[in-house]
Amino acid sequence: MRMELQATPQEVMRAVEALQEFGRAEKVPDRILHGLALALEECGCNIVTHALGNDSRKKFRVAVERQTSRILIELRDRGPEFDLTGFRRPATPAADDDLCGGWGIQIVRRYTDTIRYRREGDENVLLLIKHLE
Amino acid sequence: MPLVIQIQTGNSPLTAQTATVKLAGSLDTATAPQLETQLATLLAGPVKELVFDLAQLTFISSAGLRVIAGARKRLRERDGLASFIHLQPQIQEVFDIIASLPGIAIFKDANELDQYLAARQRAHQQGT
Repeated sequence: MRMELQATPQEVMRAVEALQEFGRAEKVPDRILHGLALALEECGCNIVTHALGNDSRKKFRVAVERQTSRILIELRDRGPEFDLTGFRRPATPAADDDLCGGWGIQIVRRYTDTIRYRREGDENVLLLIKHLE
Repeated sequence: MPLVIQIQTGNSPLTAQTATVKLAGSLDTATAPQLETQLATLLAGPVKELVFDLAQLTFISSAGLRVIAGARKRLRERDGLASFIHLQPQIQEVFDIIASLPGIAIFKDANELDQYLAARQRAHQQGT
């Protein structure tokens, strides 16, 4: 599954719904699929808000693939370089108005097994991996 | 997936301080602004206790949690309380991840919430 999306919250959820449809067709267990949907929503929200500044003219891409017993989700955007994997939870609780960033990353970590980041040319490439067994 | 919001408030001056917010569907990056708008209107009034009934909520992300946290902050400023009932397991799990949010009370059902509120009221009366 591959999608090119505009930088809007609605497009993030379009990707989430496509992932859920893909997962159901692949018979991914509901509990795992819900976690992956949540992880994709959080990463997409992060890209739209922080990398692309809620500019609907900008685009990002999502690819989802099943490899035997694991699901891979790749997100690509042309925002400023940002390595999500290096983000550390603040020592103090996040401010009430900054949960999308700080708490979102905690949620992504909880529902995926591996998170890999690389900068490829002018693109941020984020890979999420979840094992099905 | 859409979000359906139902808000119930009392009519008398006393019951007008309590509101129940029933959420159904998905509280996510696309739908959270709808809830934010409705809560802003609600909290412009005298509400001090907000009960979120999440029986029909199937998805919640940090964007939704941010709106709830914002409401909690406003309630706390007026010595109020945000509480939650009927959480489905996948919703409970997300709340558990962000369990360090202080000042949020989660209850199994309305009875448990009523017991808590009654005890809270008794404690408040004894303290005054």
